Amino acid sequence: MTALGLLIVRLAWWLLLAPLLPGIINKVKAWVAGRRGPPVLQLYYDLARLWRKHVVLSTLASPAFIVGPAVAWVAVASAAMLVPLGPGGATLSFRGDVVLMLYLLALARFATSWAAMETGSAFEGMGAAREVSYAVLSEAAIIAAMLALSVQTGSVSLATMLVPSVGTSAVLLAAGLFTVLLAENCRVPFDDPATHLELTMIHEVMVLDHSGPPLAAILHGASVKLLLFAVLLTQAVLPMGLFSPLTATALLVLGVLVVTVGVGVVESLLARFAFRRVPLLLTTSVLLCVFALLVAWQGAA
Amino acid sequence: MPGALLLVALAAAVAGMGVGFRARRAWLALTLVAASAALVASLVVLWGGSDWEWRGAMPIGGETPHLRLDGLSALFLALVGVVGGAGAIYSHEYWSDAHNASAPRGRVWWTALLVSMALVLTASNGLHFLIAWELFAISAYFLITLDRAQRDVRAAGWLYLAASHAGTMVLFGFFALLASRTGSWDLGPVRDQAGLQPLLWLALLGFGIKAGAFPLHIWLPSAHASAPSHVSAIMSGVAIKMGVYGIIRFSGWLPWPAAGGGVVTVVGATSAVLGIAFAFAQDDVKRLLAYCSVENVGIILVGVGGAMLAVGDGNAPWGRLLLAGALLHVWSHGLFKALLFFGAGSVLHATGTKEMSRLGGLWRSMPWTAALTAIGMLAVTGLPPLNGFVSEWLVYLGLFDAVASHEPAAWAAAPAAIALGAAGAIALASFVKAGSVIFLGAPRSRLAERAHECGWAMRGPMVGLAAACLFIALAPTVVWPAVARGVAAWSPDWPVTGAAPLPLAVLGRVQLTLAVVLVLAGVVAWRVLPRNGVRRAPTWACGYAAPTARMQYSSGSFAGIATGWFRWVLRPHLLLRRPRGLAPAKSFRLEHTPDTMLDAVLIPLGGLIMRTASGARRLQHGSLSAYILYVVAGLAALGAMVFTASVR
Repeated sequence: MTALGLLIVRLAWWLLLAPLLPGIINKVKAWVAGRRGPPVLQLYYDLARLWRKHVVLSTLASPAFIVGPAVAWVAVASAAMLVPLGPGGATLSFRGDVVLMLYLLALARFATSWAAMETGSAFEGMGAAREVSYAVLSEAAIIAAMLALSVQTGSVSLATMLVPSVGTSAVLLAAGLFTVLLAENCRVPFDDPATHLELTMIHEVMVLDHSGPPLAAILHGASVKLLLFAVLLTQAVLPMGLFSPLTATALLVLGVLVVTVGVGVVESLLARFAFRRVPLLLTTSVLLCVFALLVAWQGAA
Repeated sequence: MPGALLLVALAAAVAGMGVGFRARRAWLALTLVAASAALVASLVVLWGGSDWEWRGAMPIGGETPHLRLDGLSALFLALVGVVGGAGAIYSHEYWSDAHNASAPRGRVWWTALLVSMALVLTASNGLHFLIAWELFAISAYFLITLDRAQRDVRAAGWLYLAASHAGTMVLFGFFALLASRTGSWDLGPVRDQAGLQPLLWLALLGFGIKAGAFPLHIWLPSAHASAPSHVSAIMSGVAIKMGVYGIIRFSGWLPWPAAGGGVVTVVGATSAVLGIAFAFAQDDVKRLLAYCSVENVGIILVGVGGAMLAVGDGNAPWGRLLLAGALLHVWSHGLFKALLFFGAGSVLHATGTKEMSRLGGLWRSMPWTAALTAIGMLAVTGLPPLNGFVSEWLVYLGLFDAVASHEPAAWAAAPAAIALGAAGAIALASFVKAGSVIFLGAPRSRLAERAHECGWAMRGPMVGLAAACLFIALAPTVVWPAVARGVAAWSPDWPVTGAAPLPLAVLGRVQLTLAVVLVLAGVVAWRVLPRNGVRRAPTWACGYAAPTARMQYSSGSFAGIATGWFRWVLRPHLLLRRPRGLAPAKSFRLEHTPDTMLDAVLIPLGGLIMRTASGARRLQHGSLSAYILYVVAGLAALGAMVFTASVR
C-alpha cells in the first residue's frame, strides 16, 4: 500500500506539478518587467484546451507525426521516474540507471525532431537541426557532470549518487548543470520561448505544425523535462541526505523554486545569444562539468 | 556435434559454389543450409558449454590443420551465419540475373566469402589463418567490384585491395614473428611469455586496417558505398568484424605492453567521434552508413581497450562488463547495420540514387522499408528500447564503474565516456537527418516520386534482422550466457557464470515495459485524434505562395551546424557560385566531404615516397664513367673506415 501510495505521490509530483514551472517563470519575468503577467496556472488551462481541440495535419505527414510526440512524452516521463525525489526515492533504481535516463531523454529528442521533419517545412528543419546539434555539447557536459557525481560517491546509480552527498565541486557542477538546463530546455540565452520569429528559435519552431493533443503532449513533456533538470540540479548541489525526510522534501521544493526563479531572472536580464555564440557557451558548460569532475577526483582521493 | 554441423555447412557451401553459376534456387537453398548449420554449430558451442577442436593428420603447406571453435569465434561465426543467410535471400531479388550480368559470379563469391570467413574464425594455425585471411580478402574484393563497369567501383575495389594487402603484409610479419618466438605456428594462449608483448602493435595495425578503426579506415567508405548493397551489408556487418575478432582474439591470447589498453581505448574513442562526424557530413546514404561503422567499431574498441585496462588493474570486475558490452555490440551492430544497408539498398533499388538530397517522402511509396529502416535507425543510435542501447549501456556501465573505482584507469575511461556521449548525440543527429531526408517530407526529385516498395525477398530479410534486433533488445538475459562464454574465452579469470548480472536483468524488464508502453502510447495517440476531428492541410510556409519540395531542409543544411565544428578534420570541398547582379543567372552551392585521411594524409605521403624514389633513380643513369666513380668513391670510403678503425 505504501509502495503504491509513494508511486502515486511521485507520479503526481512529476506530471501534475511540472506545468507550474513555466507559469512561475513567466510570472517572474512579468514582475521584473513590471507587468501583471499570465496566471501561474496558465499552462494547465492551455493543456486542457489543447486536449479537446481538433488537429490539423500536414498533407505530407506520416503516422509518425502523431506517434512522435507520444513517444517523446513517454520517454521523458519514464526518465523522470528514474530520478529520485529526495527522501521520496525513485520508482526504479538500479546500477547504470543514470545512462538509461540520459538515453531516454535522447529518445525524446529523436522522436520530437523526427516528428518536426515530417511536414517538410524548412523552418522545422532549422529547429530540428539546431536541437540535435547543440545536444552534442550538452550531452558531453551532462555525462561529465554525472561522472563527477559518480566519483564523489563511488556509485553509478542515481539514487545513491544524488541524495546522500555533496562534494567540493558543487559550485562548478551547479554552474555547468544550470547552463545545460537552459540549453536543453530551450530557455534564454539559447532560445527564446516568447519570440514569434521562426528563424531565431529552436524548440518552438520544431512544434510549429503541431496542434491539438499532440501539441499538448509536447508542451507537457517539455515542462516535465524542465522539472527533471531542476530536481537533478538541486540534488546534485544540496546534501539532502543530511536532513530529516521532511526538511529534505522542503529543501527539494525550495531548490526547484530557486532554480525556476533563477531561469526567470536570467530570462529577464539577458538577451538571447546570437547562434554563433551558443556553442561557445555550451563549451563553457562542458568545461565547467569537466572541472567539477577533476575537483571531485581530487576530493575523493 | 558442432563438428558434424560444420562439415555439413562446408559440404553445402562447396556444393553451392559448384551450382551457383547455373542454378540460383539450388544455390540459395544450399547457402541457407550452410549458413544455418554454421549458426546452429556456434549456438551449440555458445550454449552447450564445450569448445570444439579438430586436428587433421594431412599437412597443408607443411602444417597440419588445426581448427577450433570456442566461445569467442562462435560468437562471430553466428553473425556470419545470420547475415550471410539474410544477404543471400536479399541478393536473390536485389542483384537478380535479369538485371545484373554479374549475378552468377556474385553468388559464387558470396559463398566463398562466407566459407573463408568461417575458416578465419576457426583456423588455429598461423599459416592457415593467413591463407584463410587472404581468401577472405580476395573474395570480398570480387564482391565489391561486381559492378566493375563503373569507374568508381573499380577505384573503390582497388583501394580496398591495396589497403587490405597492406594489412595482410603486417599480419605476415606478426604471425612470422609469433611463430619464430614460440617455435610453432600453432595458435593458442601464450600469455606468460612476456617477450611477445610488442607484437600487439603489429596485430593492432594489421587487424585495425580491416576493422576500419580511425585513421586506418581509408578504404572503408568508398568500398561500402560502391559495393552492391547486400555486399555492403556483409562487409559492414560482418567482414570488418573479422578485424575486430583479430584484435580481441590476440589481445586475449598474447601478453601486451602496459600501454596497450590505453592505446586501444583512445583509438576507439577517436574512431567513435570522428567516424560519426564524417558520417553526419555525408550526403550519400551508403557513405553515411559506412562512416557510422567506423563509429561502432570505435565503441567496440573502447570496450576491448577498457577490458585490457581492467586486466592491468588486477582483473577489476568492470572489465568484464566492458568486454561483454563490446562483444554484444558486435552482434548488435552486425544486425542493425545489415538491416540499414538492406534498407538503403531497397531505396537505391527503387529510385536509382543514394544521394539523399534527391530523395524524400518515400514513406508513402515504401512503408515497409521506411518502418524497418526506422527501427534500424533507433537501434544504431543506441536508444532504448532497442538492442544498440543494451550493448552501449554495458560499455557505459563499465566506464562509469572504472571512473567510480578511482583507479588510474579512470584517466582513460572518463574521457572515453564523454566521447561516447558526444558520439551518441552526433549519431542521433545523423540518423534523424538520414531518416527524415530520405523518408519524410515531399519527394525532392522525379526519381523519388516514382519509387516503389521492394518485394518480399528483400523485405523478408529486413523483417528477420529487425526481429533479431528486437529479441536482443527485449531479452538481453537470454543472450547473456553466449556473451559470457565469449568473455570467458578471452580471459580465463572471468569465468562463465550462469546468471546475468542483476542490473542487466532489470534493464531487460525495463526495455520490455518501455516497448509495451511506447506501443500503447502510439496507439492511444492514434485513437485520440479522430475523436477530436482531423483536418488535412498543406504545410505552412510562412505565407509563401508557391512552396516547392526543394525548399525543404536538405541533408547538407541539416548537418551544417555540427559539421562546422569539425571543419578542421572534415575539410569539405565547396563549390560556390553566388547569385550576382540584378538578374542573377545560374547560382549553386555544392559541398561534399571526401575522406581526409586519404586525401590529405595518405595520398600526399604516397606522392612523397614516389618522388623520393624517382629522385633516387637518378643515380641509376647508365653512364659507365659515373659508375666507376661510384665504385672508386665506395672503395675510398671503405678504406677510410678501415684506416680509422685500425688507428683507434
